[in-house]
Amino acid sequence: MLYVLIILFSAIAQYFGPWWLMPIVCFVLCLWKADAALKAFGVAFFAAATLWLGYASYQHFVNEGLIGQKVADIFKIPNVLVLVVITTLIGGIVSGFAGMAGYYCRRALA
Amino acid sequence: MKYIRALLSLLVAGGLTYLLNQPLGPAPALGPFFSPFTGFWQNDEAPQKVSSSELKLQGLKGEVIVKYDDNGVPHIFAQNDEDLFFAQGYIIARDRLWQMDFYTRVTSGRLSEVMGPLALDFDRYNRRLQLPEGAAKLAEVFMKDPDSKLVAESYSAGINAYIEQVEYKDLAIEFKILGYSPEPWSPLKTALVEMLMRKDMNARSDDYRMSNTLAAHGKEVVKDLFPNYPIEESPIIPKGTKWGFTPVAVPKVPEMLKASVAARLDIESENPGIGSNNWAVHGSRTATGLPLLSNDPHLGLSLPSIWYQMQLVSPTVNVYGVCVPGWPGIGIGFNKDIAWGMTNVGSDVFDFYQIQFKDKTQKEYQHDGQWRPVTMKINEFRVKEEAKAVQDTVRYTHHGPILYSDGQTPFMGDLPVGHALTWIGPVAVGNSLKALYMINRAKNYDDYRAIMPYLASPAFNVVFASNQNDVAITSAGQLPLKWKEQGKFVLDGANPAHDWRDWIPVEQNPYVKNPARGYVSSANQFPADPSYPYYLGWKFAPGERGIRINERLEKMTQATIDSLRLLQNDNFNVEARRVLPDLLKILEKDSSSKANPAYQILASWNLRNDPEELGPTIFERWVKELRLAIWDDDFPSTDKKAPMMLPTRDRTWALLQKQPNSKWFDDKRTPKKTETAADIVRTTFAATIDSLIDKHGRINEESWAWGKAKGTDIKHLVPLFKSFSRMDVINGGGANIVNATTEGGHGPSWRMVVQLDKTWPKAFGLYPGGQSGNPGSRLYDNMIDRWAKGELNELVFLKSKEENHPKIISTLKLGK
Repeated sequence: MLYVLIILFSAIAQYFGPWWLMPIVCFVLCLWKADAALKAFGVAFFAAATLWLGYASYQHFVNEGLIGQKVADIFKIPNVLVLVVITTLIGGIVSGFAGMAGYYCRRALA
Repeated sequence: MKYIRALLSLLVAGGLTYLLNQPLGPAPALGPFFSPFTGFWQNDEAPQKVSSSELKLQGLKGEVIVKYDDNGVPHIFAQNDEDLFFAQGYIIARDRLWQMDFYTRVTSGRLSEVMGPLALDFDRYNRRLQLPEGAAKLAEVFMKDPDSKLVAESYSAGINAYIEQVEYKDLAIEFKILGYSPEPWSPLKTALVEMLMRKDMNARSDDYRMSNTLAAHGKEVVKDLFPNYPIEESPIIPKGTKWGFTPVAVPKVPEMLKASVAARLDIESENPGIGSNNWAVHGSRTATGLPLLSNDPHLGLSLPSIWYQMQLVSPTVNVYGVCVPGWPGIGIGFNKDIAWGMTNVGSDVFDFYQIQFKDKTQKEYQHDGQWRPVTMKINEFRVKEEAKAVQDTVRYTHHGPILYSDGQTPFMGDLPVGHALTWIGPVAVGNSLKALYMINRAKNYDDYRAIMPYLASPAFNVVFASNQNDVAITSAGQLPLKWKEQGKFVLDGANPAHDWRDWIPVEQNPYVKNPARGYVSSANQFPADPSYPYYLGWKFAPGERGIRINERLEKMTQATIDSLRLLQNDNFNVEARRVLPDLLKILEKDSSSKANPAYQILASWNLRNDPEELGPTIFERWVKELRLAIWDDDFPSTDKKAPMMLPTRDRTWALLQKQPNSKWFDDKRTPKKTETAADIVRTTFAATIDSLIDKHGRINEESWAWGKAKGTDIKHLVPLFKSFSRMDVINGGGANIVNATTEGGHGPSWRMVVQLDKTWPKAFGLYPGGQSGNPGSRLYDNMIDRWAKGELNELVFLKSKEENHPKIISTLKLGK
């Protein structure tokens, strides 16, 4: 449930606003609903990772798919798959920690 | 405990978010850059599809319709000129904003603000060339004429309308990688783009090398080896053309500079790639009975391309062609009645003056028997990642800036200390926007001639053809009125007779209309033979391209679009025709040379620089080595202390053919031996083959093929972004071939052929790139392969916005 909510709200938030609304959404939703630190990290991580992985892949495959490899080459990243993995990890890790922070704050406030 | 945990976890999450939102050294902020909602993933473009859309834009007076064809070319239909230029700015910004912004950062000497310290010397140099000052002057002129004011202001407003509404996610990928945003546009920025063209075309000089040569060898040798007109040449204005004017008095040749040249200048010298071809064939020689016009400007090939195709339509105009992003109007193109094209004139407009300072403080310098004050200017640079602004003091004389003073780091090579520079860039004014406004609307020959006073710099050979069956060419531009050989050597800054004082009257620039031979052409060669009353320079681009174009046009009787296209792609090597038989005769007498398989390749070569030929791979390298081997002992061109000029190839081949026993063939570096022409030919041949084997392996059809061995690189404007470049494009041609593609990445940057017509012209063209500036678009480089093959696209020239053309695939409506 939390997983779906994070994807939904952070997608809407990022469509209209900056990328850092995603960790904020994770923080707020985990503050509201998470029930364990690791679970909060996990669910936020996977939700954000799913969203960024999904949207990046959509951009790559539905469009001409030309930019990924070129950007990978500039940053000396071996191929576009690694670039997708990095994208997924960046989105996931920052959101995971935000989710965990949400849970700990919930505990502190309880 | 729980509070500490909450606080710590908040700090980690917040800190991580903050870090990801900050640029890390030269790298962009990772968060926005990697986010698929905003970052580089957004730059992947959807394939073009049939669509129609609408946009509201503040600043428009009426509705503007933009129709895109399948090559991404916008056809803009506006109800008035303000809206037309507004839309031109808006539309080009959508495709090329980063490039436009980049150009202006280059010429305003502000690249280091976004690229960091590595661009600082380049910035210093561009400021010292006074590119910003020149642009300020031009922008002022734009504002004084009602037409150019309208053009410049509406265009700026259109670009700014785009900049105001663009979001980070839609910014060009270069902005995202380098981490900066576009600045608002202004007429001054348009002027800065024009200054880029002036620098590219004119900022070159042989003065210093020539002075060293004169000092080392004396007048007689210079006169013999560095003549003021080539031995083989086919000038732009046909020989024997009567000059229909009374020339003004040319200044007398003053005493030459006696002082030796103390400083070292390392200014870009020969650059055969910056050239272009254009020609127009009169109806008497074409299949339709009306003229054909062709143009292929050769520039540094880049991605995004220097050119952008557009059709501009308003009640006052319907014109198609290419423009330089940032520069409104159409630069090279055609309308219903006329077509025009440009090549660089390349006259000598970049001169150095030796300056005699009163003392070490360099506060006064001598001129006309008096001490004149030096003025100082401090340029400031806000370099990225550096806390303090960098300052650079420049000294000025009335000649211009002291390009580099003692203790300053020059942009190129060693120090050119204490010389003042006079060059056309910041001096000439004209009004390019007015000129383009007029030529875009021109209906006939008189309209064409009327633009000449507005074309100042760079000087262009403007070719013209009309459906009234007129063809013409004019070497247009502001040209200094010089005494003979003024600026061939470093000038004396103390002698007032050495100053630039006046200009050639604009109506006396070389031009010809409907010459008897039935065609006009230019390929950056001498505009006129020595019968022209004014001195324009001692050296122009080598004559081979012009010679070849003229001999082929001479034979055309029923010319068609395709015959002109084939001529644009002509790979015939005029230089090989001139010199190879003599070289082979020498090799023939030597059994070891003759046994070399490379000899057979050259002997059976068809003299064409076609991509599959092996002959050009050997010949082009060999003649380079040969010229160096003949001259470099006496005229060391890369000497650190006093580099000299190598005699031109034209002069070299004449020496080889007519003076084979000349003392110049002896290599001074081998005192015991006296080399002959034959010795040098044989040894350089063997050495050339050896070094080619080193580079390409044993002789074989594949790696030795000219297309492969040469390769043409089309690099991104930031060469570091290798994956945005297209390297080693396979094609034929060469620096002095009509199809002038070079290894260094110069070549035909736009090829156009127009067939004039009483009712509606037909035109073909393409450039080595694509309409989009986005490497994530198919339209970024889609024309390169056809360009390399020498093919052209038919250009979609719409009669009206109602015309149903099968190639139009999408429509964009701009409304207020």
